[in-house]
Amino acid sequence: MATDSATCDRRIAALAALAIGLQVIEAAIPSPVPGIKPGLANVITLVALLTLGWRAAVAVTLLRVVGASLLLGTLLSPGFWLSLAGALAALLMLTPLWRLYPGHISAVGLGVAAALAHTAGQFLLAWGLIIPHPQLPLLLPPLLLAALITGVLTGILTNSVLSDPRIQRHVRNPPTARTG
Amino acid sequence: MRGLRWGDALVVTLAVALVGSAFGLAYTPGGGATELVVTQAGAAPRHYPLDVARTIGIDGTAGVTTIRIEPGRARCLDSPGSQGICERAGWLERPGDMAVSLPNRLVLQVQGPGAGFDSMHF
Repeated sequence: MATDSATCDRRIAALAALAIGLQVIEAAIPSPVPGIKPGLANVITLVALLTLGWRAAVAVTLLRVVGASLLLGTLLSPGFWLSLAGALAALLMLTPLWRLYPGHISAVGLGVAAALAHTAGQFLLAWGLIIPHPQLPLLLPPLLLAALITGVLTGILTNSVLSDPRIQRHVRNPPTARTG
Repeated sequence: MRGLRWGDALVVTLAVALVGSAFGLAYTPGGGATELVVTQAGAAPRHYPLDVARTIGIDGTAGVTTIRIEPGRARCLDSPGSQGICERAGWLERPGDMAVSLPNRLVLQVQGPGAGFDSMHF
């Protein structure tokens, strides 16, 4: 049991490291529109969720948000809170949906739902606390559209990652830690 | 595509409906602007109610800025600026919308009952 737990910890750490790396790389890519980016780190969240379970996905996500903000120097800045709000909203959305995997939903549906929740969570925090501007909702539709597109793309990426034989091994034989 | 399930179709359909309705809700002409405020360097702000359609001219250091006022909206028709920034601001119809003519040191802003912020920055 201790070995399983340690194995799971190592997998979480490895996935979190990948997610942090992706987020840092993404932060270096200039975006034409503030608030819109591919969100490739969400692929890792989905992979963690669908291979290691809900607790692992939460752990990977929180490690990613905190770890990436440490590297980017945004810890506790508005950007950090926005990132955290989006990540938590996405996890909240995934909590009921991921049980439908793989029989009724694939990573594409999960990715779209998570991306929209991510954007909505960020937006609510931004609108409620950071920029309480009455016209801020005008920014929401394009952000949601971007989330829809990036959600489909990250979902497709996740599906192809999960269909990789090396990952499939973990999906078919999930560790005992899959209790969440 | 291989691996897709009915849940994916459902989620994507709902998401498209959500995005579509968000666009519809946010970009239907809201209006609500009731007056135009012309702020010019060195002069007290002038207020024009947005009730009767008319055209007014504002003299400035670089020439005349022509403003078209219609019920609920206003716009800059012509201004001395060479880049047409004031004109390109288009119709000002939501409270807080503004157009600027730098050569005439002029700011046009429509206001309504709901007080708005001046601008947004990222």
